[in-house]
Amino acid sequence: MKAPGPMHRPGSATIAIALVLGFVLALPAWAEQWQSPQMSWGVPDLQGTWTNATITGLVRFDEIEDLVLTPEAASQLEEGTADFFESIDEVPEGELAAGENVGGYNTFWMDPGRRLARVRGEIRSSLIVEPEDGKLPYSWRGYYRIAKRLWGLRSFDNPETRLLGERCILGFGSTGGPPMLPVLYNNHYQIVQSPGFVMILVEMNHDARIIRIEGERLPGVIRPWLGDSIGHWEGETLVVETTQFNPGQNFRASLRHFIYLSSDAMVTERFTRLSEREILYEFSVDDPTTYNQVWRAEIPMLAADGQIYEYACHEGNYSLTGMLSAERDEE
Amino acid sequence: MTRLSRSIGALLVCALFMTLSVAEDTSTFVAPRGPGGKPDLNGTWRAMSRANFDLEAHAAKSAMALREGPIEPVPAKEVVALGTVGAVPAGMGVVVGDKIPYQPKALSKKRENQKNWLALDPEIKCYQPGIPRATYMPYPFQILHNEDALFFAYEYAGAVRNIHLVDPGPAPIDSWMGQSVGTWEGDTLVIVTTGQHDQTWLDRAGNHHSEALRVVERFTPTSSHTMRYEATLEDENIFTRAWTMRMTLYRLVGADAHLQQFNCVPFVEELLYGHLRKNPLE
Repeated sequence: MKAPGPMHRPGSATIAIALVLGFVLALPAWAEQWQSPQMSWGVPDLQGTWTNATITGLVRFDEIEDLVLTPEAASQLEEGTADFFESIDEVPEGELAAGENVGGYNTFWMDPGRRLARVRGEIRSSLIVEPEDGKLPYSWRGYYRIAKRLWGLRSFDNPETRLLGERCILGFGSTGGPPMLPVLYNNHYQIVQSPGFVMILVEMNHDARIIRIEGERLPGVIRPWLGDSIGHWEGETLVVETTQFNPGQNFRASLRHFIYLSSDAMVTERFTRLSEREILYEFSVDDPTTYNQVWRAEIPMLAADGQIYEYACHEGNYSLTGMLSAERDEE
Repeated sequence: MTRLSRSIGALLVCALFMTLSVAEDTSTFVAPRGPGGKPDLNGTWRAMSRANFDLEAHAAKSAMALREGPIEPVPAKEVVALGTVGAVPAGMGVVVGDKIPYQPKALSKKRENQKNWLALDPEIKCYQPGIPRATYMPYPFQILHNEDALFFAYEYAGAVRNIHLVDPGPAPIDSWMGQSVGTWEGDTLVIVTTGQHDQTWLDRAGNHHSEALRVVERFTPTSSHTMRYEATLEDENIFTRAWTMRMTLYRLVGADAHLQQFNCVPFVEELLYGHLRKNPLE
């Protein structure tokens, strides 16, 4: 019998390739078999600190037709975004001439993520998946509502006409939702569960949305910020239906998107834990007086390392005083 | 022995027995087990004491903000219109030993705070309450509790605090609600809070602290619907020694147990920004 010599042993590179190949081939089956951890009272465990930060916008750019991007197109977009962020920190040399734009935040203050959203292995060009064009399907009445609100933003006569984010009533851009949308910074959420409840702490502005499982709706006169959320479990998925929004929350604006939801809109969210480090967050918006159809979006919520710190906005709100007093000075 | 005296004697024995029974009930109460075999603290709780008016014992009075009157102090001009609604009910006090042991300079500051209550109390501006005040604000709070997490959501100002079950080390920065770390001593939940800045107060009476404050809270179930709450405060800049407050927390039931939302930020816009309107109101 010939003793096995070095030539008959597979090389370490071959083993590595075989292992990687085997792992990749096994991945879908492994992923399918992954079981969500359970709370002691028998419901899926969604707990942890999560982030929905992504450079994929809610609405698809006009130049992009398809929902799913090729890896090459995705690389280009991600690299282009990285370049853009680097350019923000480039400060012109010398003194800035009086009257010039002094700019806003540098990247120290921003945390929008660096990657496009990846959902079920697809790299997405928009968070909206329905309608197919990735656009918000506003009705004429919806356009009118948005236009009216945008026009109103020209006024600095009273604090009430300013955006909720500027007033520190909620975070801006529907970060607290529902639907919970990624914005320029502080895109973190902490989920804590107890029997009969799922609490979602929205980092901006420390808003705890307490979802009542199989609960009853609040009296109609009570219209909380973030609406009234009732949940139930469908297998491994937490389904949350929210309505009775505070009328003050109808218009939600950030740099990359603005949406309008009437106070009686119904937002249905679905939270499904796909792995130790990912929750798939799906939602639909049913608001027939604002949109021509129900629209849907999908956002990955990824495990965030670290903890959420206090986002105390109102206590240090010098901006609103600054905006109103500057306008009074102008007058 | 007459029939009357026998009856009185029997009543006294009954009363003594009932008293002992009650004492025994609270001291030997075994809380229903919850997460990890610890007492189940899940639920909505509220302090019913008058501690938020003044931690120390106090008599009822016509208002928190007073001014000199011709005969006796009367409500300050700004709160006269509130009438009875603005009055202060008496409180037994929750400070063990009756008085907060202030250093002389800190006591002067407390008196200044009291004089300028309307301008200085963070509660009036809807600022975060800090610890321990969040516990005995006149609003409930909900505890969400399981094997891996412990979280307090307060109705007042939507304040929150996540209780770390593993000490993350010193707080990286001071904040309104500080950093809390929880452990269990038998059936008592012990929470140590540090990393608070000095902008919060302890009540409406101007009681205060510095950023050196260390609060050790102890939550001990005493019946299916009550907890004994103790908070020991150490602050070398303000107090001469550590001192403790003690009160009962009550579990709310039925519709009362629904934690409402009290986002007071829009409620104070007129107070904070009304003078900056284009047309300020009269």
